[in-house]
Amino acid sequence: MDQDIRTMRNIGISAHIDAGKTTLTERILYYTQRIHTVHEVKGKDGVGATMDSMELERERGITISSAATYCRWKGHRINVIDTPGHVDFTIEVERALRVLDGSVLVLCAVGGVQSQSFTVDRQMSRYRVPRLAFINKCDRAGANPYRVVDQLRQRLSHNAVLMQIPIGLEGDFAGVIDLVSMKAIYFEGLFGEKVVRDDIPAPLRTEARAKREELLDAASMFSDELMEAIFEERVTEELIDVAVRRGALLRQLTPVFLGSAYKNLGVQTLLDGVTKYLPSPTEVENIALDLNNEGARVNLSTDPALPLVALAFKLEVTPYGQLTYLRVYQGSVRKGDDIYNTRNRKKIKVGRLVRMHANEMEDIQQAAAGDILALFGVDCFSGDTFTDGRVNYAMTSMLVPDPVVSLAVKPKDSKAGGQMAKALGRFVKEDPTFRSFVDPESGETIISGMGELHLEIYVERMKREFEAEVETGMPQVAYREAISRKAEFNYTHKKQTGGAGQYGRVAGFMEPSETGAFEFVNQIKGGAIPTEYIPALEKGFQSCTEKGLLLEYPVLGVKVTINDGQYHPVDSSELAFRQAAVGAFKQAYMSANPVILEPVMKVSVECPSDFQGNVMGSISQRRGMIMSSAEDGVFTTIEAEVPLAEMFGYATTLRSLTQGKAEFTMEFSRYARVPESIAEELKKEYADKKRGGKR
Amino acid sequence: MMEFAQRSPLRILSGSTEKGLGRGNLGVLIARAGVGKTACLIHIAFDKIFQKGKIVHVSLQDGPDKIASYYNVIFAELVKALGLKDEREMKSLVEKNRMILSYLNQSFDLRRLRENLRNLSEKARFRADALIVDGLDFSKASEETFEEFKTLAAEYEAETWFSALSHRHITEVNERGIPYPCHEVDRFFSVIFQLQPLSSGIQMKLLKDHCRPVKQEDAIVLDPSTFLAVPR
Repeated sequence: MDQDIRTMRNIGISAHIDAGKTTLTERILYYTQRIHTVHEVKGKDGVGATMDSMELERERGITISSAATYCRWKGHRINVIDTPGHVDFTIEVERALRVLDGSVLVLCAVGGVQSQSFTVDRQMSRYRVPRLAFINKCDRAGANPYRVVDQLRQRLSHNAVLMQIPIGLEGDFAGVIDLVSMKAIYFEGLFGEKVVRDDIPAPLRTEARAKREELLDAASMFSDELMEAIFEERVTEELIDVAVRRGALLRQLTPVFLGSAYKNLGVQTLLDGVTKYLPSPTEVENIALDLNNEGARVNLSTDPALPLVALAFKLEVTPYGQLTYLRVYQGSVRKGDDIYNTRNRKKIKVGRLVRMHANEMEDIQQAAAGDILALFGVDCFSGDTFTDGRVNYAMTSMLVPDPVVSLAVKPKDSKAGGQMAKALGRFVKEDPTFRSFVDPESGETIISGMGELHLEIYVERMKREFEAEVETGMPQVAYREAISRKAEFNYTHKKQTGGAGQYGRVAGFMEPSETGAFEFVNQIKGGAIPTEYIPALEKGFQSCTEKGLLLEYPVLGVKVTINDGQYHPVDSSELAFRQAAVGAFKQAYMSANPVILEPVMKVSVECPSDFQGNVMGSISQRRGMIMSSAEDGVFTTIEAEVPLAEMFGYATTLRSLTQGKAEFTMEFSRYARVPESIAEELKKEYADKKRGGKR
Repeated sequence: MMEFAQRSPLRILSGSTEKGLGRGNLGVLIARAGVGKTACLIHIAFDKIFQKGKIVHVSLQDGPDKIASYYNVIFAELVKALGLKDEREMKSLVEKNRMILSYLNQSFDLRRLRENLRNLSEKARFRADALIVDGLDFSKASEETFEEFKTLAAEYEAETWFSALSHRHITEVNERGIPYPCHEVDRFFSVIFQLQPLSSGIQMKLLKDHCRPVKQEDAIVLDPSTFLAVPR
């Protein structure tokens, strides 16, 4: 069994949108004989790439949700998760990286390191995922893999090293020279399925020798044996492979492969690289929290005999019910087993166990540590941990950003109403960055998420998958409130209306917190308020932060310190002190000079350098603050911080300003105070809505 | 910020008739690789920013992320070393008053820099009071390059600081005591410093200060971890 785990690879494929990762995955499935013919993304045959299993994805030519699949390559089993490129679906990338042991960063040989490459690279670093780079589209006009390697070094700070050099480029791209074996490799046959090794063409020998020297220099940093062998001129392929693997696993070396997935060149050699240089599950440290031991960190082992620990990392609705994707970290799971959801201690019987291949599936009897599989009919949330009951572990939670955009949705008719509710319930379970609630004042259903496109996709999915036609309102920004100075409170809650009375007095102050989170400090001395009522006070204050008193937005970053109070031996209760906290909050809040905060996005625009001025102008007009501009050849990347409220419709503006030659990505950066003029507008809008009875 | 001003590397110019480099002038730091040219330039940038000036950091080697992280590391060290208060406000001032322009893979040319500065000034309302130019290869830069930089600095009334890489094995020094790689272009520079590692820290030695004759004692020692002047 252990041998099996060592030959297993769980990899993700991440890239900037349109770098060709779906095409690459398609070719991987073809060469590993999981599929028997090749369909292109937006292909003329109308079938679409296999990994783009959702109808919408096929139509748009982008991959919206991760599709898991597995394949075998030269005695290794590879689980592949295809991840979305658009930043709005970043939760998908994050989830994929959380459960993967290695990743392939796909870069375009023309576009190079693009804005989204930074995001996915940062994410891979966060989850300490070793990676290979694949420079795709070497057949395209303007392809320059050497420039991309320089960009990997300069812009992403990777110790990138070429494992291959191209044989020809652009229209002449014919294959690669493997710098480990020093052989030319060509890909023949209708779909490049026949890998032919030959001598290096004479004109490329000098360059190949020079680049091999660079590879040896870089790899020898990770192996004394290789360094000695270089001095003694007895370098072997195995010595190089061991050194490169060591560097890659330490995330201090990024081996770079070249190819053109579309032209069926270089994919098999990349697969060789995946099996040689990326880790098996046994080589990755995975930590769980022991809930029976105050959340102590526990190192998980890939031993299949140990208690089961598995993480549900993705849910999908299928015509046959809910499909739960699971990564097994420890132990094993068999069909018919009882497993427990750590969150609610609910017992579940494992019915159908399947291995996924995009939207097709294969029934299996069991799965062991390291494996990725899917379960049918399990009711759970994404991020839940499952065990066999022998341990009570939870996998460390995944980082889930708060939504920043909201949209009101209204069903077009009563039938759509029921279906919409069903769809929203499903989406909320599938995607933790998607939220849905009914505004108690306006009665409107509000959906919120990570960007305009994110919400747009769910509205489309409601229509297509649930036949729920909805009307949408204007996107709304998720504003927040915060206090800007210290204010004191001294409030007595007293009620005597027959029966038991209510009494509680609390004094102290509130001030902005350094951490940005709610903080509660108890400085009560001498038992002025008995300890048993302190949690009620904390809860009372915290409940007030859900809705600020200025414009009813949630309140961020309040630190409440209580230092005095009074109780009554008969009339004081938890409820009384909770009410006292609410009164105290109300008493001090407006004196603490509350302000309105808005989400500010980190925006990255990539454009031909000639359009730099136009782009800068468009950012400034949107109250944006430009942070930097980096020129690389004829392209410029401008990084800026821009309030989200100003970013609606920016894609259209950017297109018209740059003749469609620029693109941008954005992600949430921080909350910042809105300018006074905008605060006044928001206050006026709020007052109007209040007058109209709507919010 | 008084304490920073007292310990900033630019303290060395406090005795200068100009009290600094002066608007429209060029200054340069000469040092071998790894001595701390970039760190010292960033200190000069902080000096300007903390006086509410705006700076444009031009890097010919590194991308904006790397430059920004240099600033963050040095800022954190300053906060620690000087016990600075209002850290958040100062950080925000740094972000507002600093612009990073990177030119990667030999994509730098003065025409582009001029264009970029114009865009910043006209489209982003960011007009630099100082330019920090890191990574220019002095051994390959022509006299015209420095002439153009001089024109640009004058046009924007921006004091402009450069780093220049020297080598242990090239010992050329001109008759005015200016070493390689500035020995043939020193007339373009109003202020020239040399950084040299010592056992007690990094010596920052003034080699040229406008028209004032430079004295032997025009040197300070910088703490190698914070790059702040070590009190004598």
